[in-house]
Amino acid sequence: MSGAPQMLDSPPPPASGPAARAVALTKVYGAGEVAVRALDGVDVEFEAGRLTAVMGPSGSGKSTLMHCMAGLDAPTSGQAFVAEKEIGRLDDSALTALRRERIGFVFQAFNLIPTLTAEENITLSADLAGRRVDREWFDYLVGRLRIADRTGHRPSELSGGQQQRVACARALIGRPDLIFADEPTGNLDSGASAEVLRFLRGAVDEHGQSIVMVTHEPAAAAYADRVVFLADGRVVGELLEPSADSVLEQMKRLDG
Amino acid sequence: MLRVTLRGLLTRKLRLGLTAMAIVLGVTFVTGTLVLGDTLNRTFDNLIGGIYQHVDFQIRGKQTLSGVGNTGVDSTVNRRSVPQSVAAAVGRLPGVQFDYGSVGGYAQLVGPGGHAIGSARGALGFSFDPNPQLSALKLVRGRAPAGADQVVIDQNTVQKHHLAIGERVRMLLPNGHRTFTISGVVTFGSASSLAGSTLAGFQLRTAQRLFNSVGRYDTINVLVKQGADKVAVQREIARALPAGAEVVSGQAVADELDQTIHSGLSFLSTALLIFAFISLLVGSFTIFNTFAITVGQRTRELALLRVVGAGRRQLFVSVLTEAALTGLLASLIGLGLGVVAAIGLKALLGAFGLSLPSAPLVFRARTPVVALLVGIGVTTLSAIVPARRAVRIPPVAALVALDGDSSAQLRRRRLLIGAALTALAALLLVDGLVRARIGLVGLGALCVFIATVALVPAIAAPLAQALGGPLARVLGVPGRLGRRNSSRNPRRTAQTAGALMIGMALVSTIAVLGSSLSSSARQEVSSALSADYIVTGGDHVDLSTTTTVSRLPGVAATTAVFSGQFDVRGSLQSLGAVTTGGLERTVKLNIVSGQGVPALAGGELLVDTNTAATKGLHIGSVVPVTFAQTGPTTMRVGGIYRYNPLVGSYLTGARYFLAHFDHPSIQALLVSTRAPAPRFDQRLRAVLSANPNLKAKTRTQFVQDQQNNVNKLLGLIYVLLALAVLVAMIGIVNTLLLSVFERTHEIGLLRAVGMRRSQVRWMVRAEAVIIALFGAVVGIVVGTGLGLALSSSLRNSGVTALSVPVGSLIAFLVLSALLGLGAASWPARRAAKLDVLRAIATE
Repeated sequence: MSGAPQMLDSPPPPASGPAARAVALTKVYGAGEVAVRALDGVDVEFEAGRLTAVMGPSGSGKSTLMHCMAGLDAPTSGQAFVAEKEIGRLDDSALTALRRERIGFVFQAFNLIPTLTAEENITLSADLAGRRVDREWFDYLVGRLRIADRTGHRPSELSGGQQQRVACARALIGRPDLIFADEPTGNLDSGASAEVLRFLRGAVDEHGQSIVMVTHEPAAAAYADRVVFLADGRVVGELLEPSADSVLEQMKRLDG
Repeated sequence: MLRVTLRGLLTRKLRLGLTAMAIVLGVTFVTGTLVLGDTLNRTFDNLIGGIYQHVDFQIRGKQTLSGVGNTGVDSTVNRRSVPQSVAAAVGRLPGVQFDYGSVGGYAQLVGPGGHAIGSARGALGFSFDPNPQLSALKLVRGRAPAGADQVVIDQNTVQKHHLAIGERVRMLLPNGHRTFTISGVVTFGSASSLAGSTLAGFQLRTAQRLFNSVGRYDTINVLVKQGADKVAVQREIARALPAGAEVVSGQAVADELDQTIHSGLSFLSTALLIFAFISLLVGSFTIFNTFAITVGQRTRELALLRVVGAGRRQLFVSVLTEAALTGLLASLIGLGLGVVAAIGLKALLGAFGLSLPSAPLVFRARTPVVALLVGIGVTTLSAIVPARRAVRIPPVAALVALDGDSSAQLRRRRLLIGAALTALAALLLVDGLVRARIGLVGLGALCVFIATVALVPAIAAPLAQALGGPLARVLGVPGRLGRRNSSRNPRRTAQTAGALMIGMALVSTIAVLGSSLSSSARQEVSSALSADYIVTGGDHVDLSTTTTVSRLPGVAATTAVFSGQFDVRGSLQSLGAVTTGGLERTVKLNIVSGQGVPALAGGELLVDTNTAATKGLHIGSVVPVTFAQTGPTTMRVGGIYRYNPLVGSYLTGARYFLAHFDHPSIQALLVSTRAPAPRFDQRLRAVLSANPNLKAKTRTQFVQDQQNNVNKLLGLIYVLLALAVLVAMIGIVNTLLLSVFERTHEIGLLRAVGMRRSQVRWMVRAEAVIIALFGAVVGIVVGTGLGLALSSSLRNSGVTALSVPVGSLIAFLVLSALLGLGAASWPARRAAKLDVLRAIATE
């Protein structure tokens, strides 16, 4: 895209140093005989300026990993760091501030507040913090996402793909250290999926954005720089420069 | 199907509890009122039955005035006394064992501090008969009054004011005051007093002299010989009586007394029940709303039931059963609490000096029946519309998420109904106002309420937006979100606010009416009176006071104002009378036609313009009238004056009046002074100090007094309406909890993208305040309109000025906002405490 503003304050960083990492992260639900180890000593790093996909069959713990990393859920033991801040040491208000300032979210569904317009949804975090919104960046994002003419509409007046693109704009508007995308294309058809994935890819390539994407679709994982495979709460493999086929193959191997 | 209903109920316990609360409060009120009423009735029945159980017959003057008219019959004034000789004649009849006469009248104790004890109206003097079989008063200590200066006092008064036998007490009597020695203590039947009255018993002779009844008896009680044929004896007595006297059985007298007391108490009960039903009406909004929301939330579940084969009828019955069960539970709790409330109320009455003989609470079978019917009925009726909505859910809604609210057609019908009702209300109000008919105005008010409820959803969204504007500006994003949320479902917001709206409308109506009454009082006094001082004394200013005051230096004129009842062309009316000397210096009598003072002095009748118009009277009309003591006669209309609230509708001269009343009571003494009269105030008060009941008020003080009375009544009504407002608040809590529950996901998302807990709380609070303000604004506007309508419909009954108490109305608005804030506290806390992850995961 031609109209990309210069990002002098944060040039694309070198692909080194983690945006987030987990150390022996463990999450146990329930207790005693019915205890379920959703995460079982996970050690993982998510590099800055990269798109990392987290894959695994359902129940593998990939969503739990994301929730613990994002400070939405508290781990049973182990540590999670975002921007070298240990999440377990933060209280609720510090966590809230962290989410507002440093992390962006894209969920599978229900990403938008129905009473707010697309624009208000995009600027919600900044408004909550009482921060000014970078209008140039806003215009760039909505232009790039092809929702510039829809910003005055309520979510109910937008298509599923448009809603998800609004969610992407909201995740990026604050230039967070890290974006967590939880099955961002889970509810979309293939065309809309591709558009969202291409945009996320572009955000990494053009603006050095760090993104962690949880998915179970090999085609989606193929957009990533690296795929981390999870099974039964453990990291069981990893793939660099994946293609849909290599991801599929790896998954088959893990199943077998 | 019933099992599904029950399961559903149990899983929604919280909602059930809140919904039930509204009903619990209403049913508690109803039950408490009924139990208290029954208990009081039974207590008095027992008391009166006990007193008259030994009396076979009573001889008394015939009632000369029938009780048709705009004032109640004062039975003591409306019967002539019977000559003493009648008792002797009846005593000689063969079937009569014994008979004895008695008299009664006003006798008020002056306490040690120089203050009159109790109210003048409750200060009852009796002739005391020492024969315990014959007297209603039972001597419990000391002796019966033996001389002209001895008195027996009721136990309650003796205890409360630390009086002792042998002590000298001053008593206020119809003809002045005298000092007596307490010779004994009495009880009234089994009660230590008669419902807060003070009782004083004198020797018969003394009583006759004190109460202006020398040689006469008010009543003669008769005991029949054992074995005598009562019917024959009654016939014999009747034959021995002079014209104007009658003989009735003791039972009949007891029944009459019961009747009087019952109707007095039923007035109290009715008043309380009205407020109970107001709070139930308000509660029905809460119920309606809860069921409407739950049906909305359970669309999928209900549709699934339809898919697996539940019929429309079954669903309808299921929702109604849920409502009925909620109502049943709430009514049962309310029933229990109501009994407790009755005990509390009875104790409260006791604290106000209305001491009653201790008697068990009366719990008639009718009480639980009414309580359950009302509680279950209101709940079920409120759930009918939501139940019909549930029935309309198509089975396919289980599979696809449908937009639940597809009721454009319904909305149009609602608007039509609302518009029709508004038109009807306007017609009724205009007609009622033009003809000053309060009944029509009331009916119009009811239509206004229903029309408002029907129309309000249409304006809910824009009004909520407007009201929320300042909040959004102050609170930022949370305020903005709260404001959007409040206009998200206009119907829900309107229903929730509707409850508060009715409460606030009633409060405002009363406030406007009260304010108009207050300013009317001020206007009246300046337009009706030119006197500088008004001396009042609880209906018992004695005649000698008039003379004393008129001789005070500095007095320019005094006018005594009398009041009594008479019969005009078959209807009972109040008759006022004034002394005519110097009348023009004390009363502003605005004569429209005919004469003023000369006509009054000549014993002619003056009527006000309204009465002249409605009764077709004009100067020279000769009107047939009847007086209780002197019987039928005619009066000539000598003048017509403009309505004067202090004088009333019928007026005559004092001389004529005194000739027709045995026990004239001076209502007020009007005093005008010569221009600057320094120290007159002190001199007047010094003269009046002998009778502690007498109070001299300047015109300003008099107005102030009237306004204080109005305010006292207002305060009482506000307290009773507070219950309705409380129920409305519960409704807000309920709606907010349901909304928070409904928006769990949304709140989770907000928290995920960085909303602080405090911001979540303010979001909910903002919504609550907007809802409350919405209800208050509409309610206050409607209430002010109704209050003005009501006030002007009462213009013939003394409400001559219209006034809107802006300060009070603003206070109501602020109070409503605070109530909203209070109602939000729990839902806001719940919303803020939601676990982010759980909230996001919620389907």
